[in-house]
Amino acid sequence: MFKRIWIIFIRDLKVNSKDFISLYILLIPILFAVCINLFAPGINDTTINLALIEGENQDQVEYLQRFAKVELFKNTEEIEKRVEKRDAIIGIIPKIDGYYLMSQGDESQGIVDYAKLLVSFYELDIDTEDSKGELMEFGRSVPPLKKSLVNTSILFISVLGGMLIALNIVEEKVDNTISAINLTPTSRTSFVLGKSVIGVLYAVFGSIALLFITGFGRVNILQLLLILLVTSLLSILVGFIQGLTNTDIISAAASIKLLFLPLIAGVLSIEILGDKWQKFFYWNPFYWAYKGNDIILAKSGTWGQILVYSGLVLLLSGIVFIFLAPKIRKGLE
Amino acid sequence: MITVKNLFHSYNKDGNYQVKDVSFDIEKGEVFGFLGPSGAGKSTVQNILTGLLQLQQGEATLGGYDVKNMSKDMFNKIGMSFEQSNVYSKLTAKENLHFYGKLFDNPTRDPMELLKLVGLADKADIRAGEFSKGMKHRLTFARSMINNPEIWFLDEPTTGLDPSIAADIKDIIKQKNKEGITIFLTTHNMFIADELCDRVAFIVDGEIKLIDSPENLKLQYGDKLVKVEYFQGDQVLQKTLSIVLPEDKELLRNIIENHEIRTMHTKEATLEEIFIKVTGRGLI
Repeated sequence: MFKRIWIIFIRDLKVNSKDFISLYILLIPILFAVCINLFAPGINDTTINLALIEGENQDQVEYLQRFAKVELFKNTEEIEKRVEKRDAIIGIIPKIDGYYLMSQGDESQGIVDYAKLLVSFYELDIDTEDSKGELMEFGRSVPPLKKSLVNTSILFISVLGGMLIALNIVEEKVDNTISAINLTPTSRTSFVLGKSVIGVLYAVFGSIALLFITGFGRVNILQLLLILLVTSLLSILVGFIQGLTNTDIISAAASIKLLFLPLIAGVLSIEILGDKWQKFFYWNPFYWAYKGNDIILAKSGTWGQILVYSGLVLLLSGIVFIFLAPKIRKGLE
Repeated sequence: MITVKNLFHSYNKDGNYQVKDVSFDIEKGEVFGFLGPSGAGKSTVQNILTGLLQLQQGEATLGGYDVKNMSKDMFNKIGMSFEQSNVYSKLTAKENLHFYGKLFDNPTRDPMELLKLVGLADKADIRAGEFSKGMKHRLTFARSMINNPEIWFLDEPTTGLDPSIAADIKDIIKQKNKEGITIFLTTHNMFIADELCDRVAFIVDGEIKLIDSPENLKLQYGDKLVKVEYFQGDQVLQKTLSIVLPEDKELLRNIIENHEIRTMHTKEATLEEIFIKVTGRGLI
């Protein structure tokens, strides 16, 4: 059985490596990771940009660099040119009795006030140690936006694994090769498992690559694997049903894209909606997978929580399976 | 080797049977032709025997295995060449055979040897998607031999092939039969059936009308005829005469004695003519 599962998987891998659309799907986790790294801010990133004159006050530059992104220019004219560009940056320019702030005028008040405060704190020689406020933190060590993007990408990757399965099934249908496979000692279970391997491995390796590239490599991989495997079940089911009901690659890919709707709904409900709306999304397996991934990425998830979330995803996928299994069985005949 | 008893099949499971009370036995090493027009139920019976369709009613055994409870091991012993070629278009000819061969438990044949046999050795590394229809058909035929089958199902094995390739395919079938392989040949081509089959079954509307050897059928149903062309003055006349009927025999003797003969051939009834005579139906 395992021999045949392996043979079917290797065949699919070989065909996918020759096919442009499949190859593109295989590379998507890397592209996602690179894009997240490029566009999502890190934990120490700030949205405040300041422009100062180089060599005018080195002590002030070093002080401000601790709290903002500082760009240095040769003179006031260069700072003026820089400030006039589209992004928000505040110029801090010396005058006889101190400094004045230069802005475009369309920056948010918070940015301008933050720049004013930084300049005042420097002039008054105030440092973070002077604060009387006691710090109590929740132990969050990752930036929330980046975490959300990585979490959503993991779910996307698992759906793309289903798409990869659908493409391979469509190929079998177009070439009419399922009947030939049925005349070998390959059982239907071996065929289904063999066809599923590429989708599951893609979701696992794609997600792990994404985690390492985006700096989440130290999360509990076993917990993540559990959530990934149960989420992949749903993608596999949908991949099979779409592969068997569509006769060309484009329509199969288009049908699989429908899965992105519950995925996005699950993510947005958690990130945007209030507590009273959450219950309307309990039917959605992606909702629970997102919650599970979220605590794994925050390194705050216990095995108990992960088992509950993965159990809920498994249960909901099982319900989907009950509806889809007869169609899949018929399609493979 | 193959036993079928009272086989019935209804696609809609509604009592409207596409296969009705079909029974036959095939001996080991026999070439059995299943002949009939399109939609007669040939492929349905074949698909039930190979497990592609579920056996609904009746009994069938294949090499000692019960078709109703198909053993996976049985598939190591059967091969099938489909009428519609079904190979992976994104894999090369060699990769297709290599992949398929690995799915069997028993020793399989070298893909290159098979490709050479069907005249595709020089196309081994070309993707099957780039093949012509005939080349794909030959690849499908080659694949059916990869596991050295003991029972070989051939569905229209020469359809769509040019005459020289069809002749090669027929030679391969004859050779495999000499090696003792049992062959179940499904076709509507009476010439290939006549040439290859030890026995044929005529199937129409899901029912077997007759089973016998082509020789017996010709003896039983064919008229023994002579087609003669002869000169009468400057004219060439043509007559087809029975060599059984006394008046035709007398006329033939008269022609031979009194006229110069241009051509003279004995003419046997073809299987197609017998099929029409027996079933009252054509083959298309």
